[in-house]
This record gives sequence, structure tokens and C-alpha cells, in this order.
Amino acid sequence: MTSAQWDDDDALEADLRAAMNALPVPEHVVAAAKAAYTWRTIDEELAFAALVYDSAMDSALTGSALVRGAGPRTLLFEGERLSVEIEVTEAGMVGQLIPPGPGGITVLTAAGTYAEAQADEVGCFLLSRPDHGAVRLTCRSGGNTLSTPWLPL
Amino acid sequence: MLGTRTNTDLVEAAARGDQEGWDEIVQRYLPLVFSVIRRYRLSPKDAEDVSQTVWLRLVEHLDTIREPRALPMWIATTTRNEALRLVSAHRRTTPVDPLGTSTLDAVADTRDVDEQLLGAERQQAMRDGLAELPPRQRELLLLLVADPPLSYETIGARLGMPVGSIGPTRARCLARLRNTPAMQAFLANGHDTDRRWTA
Repeated sequence: MTSAQWDDDDALEADLRAAMNALPVPEHVVAAAKAAYTWRTIDEELAFAALVYDSAMDSALTGSALVRGAGPRTLLFEGERLSVEIEVTEAGMVGQLIPPGPGGITVLTAAGTYAEAQADEVGCFLLSRPDHGAVRLTCRSGGNTLSTPWLPL
Repeated sequence: MLGTRTNTDLVEAAARGDQEGWDEIVQRYLPLVFSVIRRYRLSPKDAEDVSQTVWLRLVEHLDTIREPRALPMWIATTTRNEALRLVSAHRRTTPVDPLGTSTLDAVADTRDVDEQLLGAERQQAMRDGLAELPPRQRELLLLLVADPPLSYETIGARLGMPVGSIGPTRARCLARLRNTPAMQAFLANGHDTDRRWTA
């Protein structure tokens, strides 16, 4: 932690050294953060769904080793008229629209559309996933739309 | 010029569609994001994913940040939550050391957000102050705090400055840094800065 006292030249220089050398952020990370702004004007018409359950956070809160590794990660996003539940595995994502019904689902990454799928009559769908990175889902079903928050996988 | 626009200015500019306002928010707070991430011992790839998530989220939240001065707190809190999420999510799919405590450490870190914010604000004030110095003074200070350290002989050679005058010049540059608007603005907020965002 930096010292509270900047009257002393050596203390000031030490703090400056810490400020300049502590956190070299790679240039491509800076570029990616700036490029995030291109999403500013996209998909404004979609209804926003909140993440209401994430099994990963469940185990984090309990801190229980027993819960960990106990099956795929489950996420529930709840919107006003349309919700979606997904299971994330290494291989991909399996999900269901709520209320159940046919529809279209898109996986987005920061770079744009990653994958698309159709949900069947009971709203079930299967999607591929990127190895890592922030993703969001957009869903359309029965005249309703949904957009999840960005989430790192 | 770095450090001359307030967070309120920047958030309003970015919400209006001004990419430069957004870029300055990124420059100003990316070090804060990484200072928070560092506590969670994430891989470089996971750290980048958390950072990217924070910025993508902020793009959508620009319109809803009612108190733009709360921006650093929003950024620090979102970063902490998403870093914790990734730590937990990845632990589920990898072998777990039952005696490992890093998840609990991460939970305990929540109370440190204020402290991290204060430290990040201090460091930002110094970087902003440095940006406000004349180029030659800034160059000398950057050489003096270089990592790995440089000898006075090397610094003198780079700047074409006699070794004997580096000491006195250093003192003048530090005095000037201390008096830059950026540093003075930070000091004027006193040591209650860590409360500013939570009040």
C-alpha cells in the first residue's frame, strides 16, 4: 500500500514508482476495453434479463468442497415475459426457454455472433460455446425477446 | 489532457456517444480493474475475460449510473463479483484441493474494495499529475522510477544532463509534481477519500 505522506521526496518517488510499475496492462487488453464501446448502439430493442441463479456462485457462497464438481454449471436468466435456463459444460450449452416454445437463440461474444440455434416445440436448444471469454445470449420466442448480461465462461 | 475531465463529464460524454470519453474512462480505470483482479490469482486469460466482461457491462450501464462519481465503486464491485464468479466456475470443473482456501480468501476480500479504490485513486492522481508536468521533467521522473532501476550515470547520459545536477533537478520535479492540479485535487479530498464513494 502506498504511504499517506507525500511531503517526503523519497516516499513520493516510491509511490510514483509503484504507480508506474505496478500494473502493466497489455496493449491488446486496453484495445479490447476500448472496443467494447462498439456495443453501445447494438440490440437496443431487446428486453433485458437478469441473472437470478448461477450454480458457480452458489458453491462460492457456501465455500463447500462437496458442491464443487457436482455436475454442469447451471444459469437462470429471468426476463419479464421470457426467461432462459442453461447448463454449461466443456462441450457446449444446453438450455430451455421459459415459457417453453419454439424460438431462436444466439450466442454473442465481444467479436459478434458466435453461434445460433433453434429451440424446439418445448423450448429446448443446444449451442456450441467459445473456450473462454465474455458471452451473452439473445433469445426470441413467441413475440418476446431477451438479452442476458455479459458473463465470462 | 489526462485528468482534466471529471467522471461526471466522462460518463455523460460516453453516454452521448463520444468514443473519446469512453477511451478516457478505460485509461483511467483499467488499472483499478487489474488491481482488483490481481487478488484472485486468475490466469492471464481469465483476467482478460473478467476485464472484458466489466467493460461490456459498463457500456450498457452508462445510462443508469445516476451518480457518476460512483463510477469507480461500480467498476471495482463488478470486477470483484465477476472475478469471484470465474474462480468458482472454473474450480467446479477442475480438481479441487479440499484444504485450499483461495475461495474463502476471495470472499473475505469484499471488505477491501474501499481500500483498493483508495489506492487506485492515489496512483491515478500520481499518473495524472505526471501527465501535467512539462515533458522534460516527466522524462526525468520516469527514468528515476524505471523498473529495473537505472543508475544516475545512465539517466544523465539519456538526458544529456550532468550527473551532479540530477539530485537537485529531481527535488524540483518532485516538488512540481506535488503541486500539480491532479495531485492537489486528490490531497484536497483529504483522507476521507475512501468514504466518498460509499456515502
